[in-house]
Parts: sequence; structure tokens; C-alpha cells
Amino acid sequence: MNFVPSPVPDPQAPGMLIRKLESIAPLSAGERQGIEGLPMRIHNLNARQDIVRDGDQPTHCCLILDGWACRYKLLSEGKRQILSFHIPGDIPDLQSLQIHRLDHNLATVTKVRVAFIPHESLGELTAKHPSLAAVFWRDTLIDAGIFRERLVSMGRRSAFEHIAHMFCELYLKMQAVGLAGNFRCSLPITQADMADALGLTPVHVNRVLKEMRDQTLITLRSSTLVIEAWDELLRVAEFDATYLQLRKRAAG
Amino acid sequence: MGGQDNVETLVVLQPIAVDTASLDRTGMLVLANGKLVAILVRLEVPEHARCGAWFLEVGLGRLAGVRPPAFDTLEDATRWVRQHLKG
Repeated sequence: MNFVPSPVPDPQAPGMLIRKLESIAPLSAGERQGIEGLPMRIHNLNARQDIVRDGDQPTHCCLILDGWACRYKLLSEGKRQILSFHIPGDIPDLQSLQIHRLDHNLATVTKVRVAFIPHESLGELTAKHPSLAAVFWRDTLIDAGIFRERLVSMGRRSAFEHIAHMFCELYLKMQAVGLAGNFRCSLPITQADMADALGLTPVHVNRVLKEMRDQTLITLRSSTLVIEAWDELLRVAEFDATYLQLRKRAAG
Repeated sequence: MGGQDNVETLVVLQPIAVDTASLDRTGMLVLANGKLVAILVRLEVPEHARCGAWFLEVGLGRLAGVRPPAFDTLEDATRWVRQHLKG
């Protein structure tokens, strides 16, 4: 993998992690300081590039600072299932701290700026602040909750409801780390990405998006999602944000 | 197709209007040796990436759950169906 090293360290990198963790749990001053002291190697990655692959045994975790990433599995004949999308503040491979061999791939969707944090340093940090270990644990539990909702969507929600549900979730996740507001957020994924995440074809995704536009639920232009009727979208998706466990939950 | 392995599958198309809950409505029933195996729909909505192509809307039997990219022509679609039913 050809990583292009960033010429200067990014002093804002720990801030992104703090912002993410504070969206799901309060942090003490000491915990924040501990995070600020983490060594982080910053890399700028191109779009559509693997960060870690199925079977890898990484020695660091990857914090997303800018851009979008996704977890995915590859099947025969080039079939791809996207398992989850990830936004700034997420550490999609946090599990590699405990489970040493990765069982899926992690790749960039857009250009991504990441910070690699050595496992050793994260281990030391959580040993010093056991309450931070609990916050990381909480994050992985929320991750599991997101997968449960995805499972329900894949099995029992219609394509329309599933896409509506995904938009509600992505908007609230972006809003929680200060990257969305006024029912508007960036959505830099293609219809083919969406299809691979939803288990649909791009043709079906395209039809559902058109139907959503026709019903003035959303507009989607230049990779920006505007939710025109939030309450209606929530109702269609039967969306209950409890599983995201966000501390400030009101959308807007 | 037991007992017919050495005989080429006869694929016949029959025009049919299809409700896809979108403006894509021109369809073809795909019959292989007299049995319905798929429905193709022409992508007519301009927002589609491959407008004008034929999309496998539904596959039945051995074509169930198969998701090939849309076909440029009906000939391409027919060839694909024949090949896919062979193996």
C-alpha cells in the first residue's frame, strides 16, 4: 500500500477522536489529555484504496480525520458487500486491538486523511484510564447496535425503508461530530456503493432515490444530501435513534 | 435441463409491460425451453447510468438472485441467459 506521508503533524487529529468519544460519553480533563498525548502518524490516502485487508494483523488502529471509509467483504465473481460506512472520528478497526487478525477489509471511499495510532499506545492509555477503555467498549457496542439495525433492514425492510433508515443514521452520526446541520450533510458515495451496502442493484437504488425526490423527502445533488422532510423520513424508516446512544440527540 | 444437455436451450422473448414503480416499463418475458426464467426491463429513466440498456429485473430458478450488469442489447441478454442455464 502506497501511503503518502503528510509533511506536517496534525495538531487537530486528537480533537477529532475527542469529539467522537464525547458524542457518546463524557470525558474527564485527564482523559482528554491522555488522548491528546497519543502518538498519531498522519497519512493522506487516495479514494478507493484498501487501508487494511482481510487477514492482516495490524499493529495500529486507524482514526479517520477527513473523508469516508467503508468496511467490506469480497465474494466470488467480484461481488462485494459493504458492511458499514465510516466518517471522521470513527476508528473502524478498533477491534484489531483485541482481535489480532482482521476478518474483513477496510478501504477509503473518498480521499481520506487518517491517523495511525499504535496498539501499544492505545493499550497504555486504556491501562492508565480504565474509564476510557469503557468508552471504547461502549463504542464497539454501539457499532454492534448499528449492525443489528442493518440486519433488520437487510432482512425485513423494503429498499425504500432501508435507504431512508440509512440516511437518518448517517445524518445523525455526522451531526454528532459537528459535520452536519440544518438537515444537510455530505454523502460522497455512489449509487453503486449504496447498492453494495444495501444488497440491491444500482438500478433499484436509482429508482428509490427518484421516488424519494418525487415525494420531496430528500434532494441529493453534488454529493450533498438534503433531508427535506425529516419527520416524514423518520416515520417511513421507523427510525428510533436510541441504538446510536448519542448524548445530544435532537436533529436539526 | 436433464436429458437435453447437448441441445442448445431455446430462449424466446415475449414483450410485456412491467410495473417497476418507476418509468421503466418496457419489458420482455424470457422463456427458456418454454419455461419463464426471467423478466428483462429496458432502463428508460434518464437518471440511470446505462439508459437504454436491458436490466434483469427478476430471475427465476437458476437465475434467482443473480445480478448481472445491464445488457446493451437483447441479443447480449439472450446469450447470457443461455450460457447461464448451461453450466
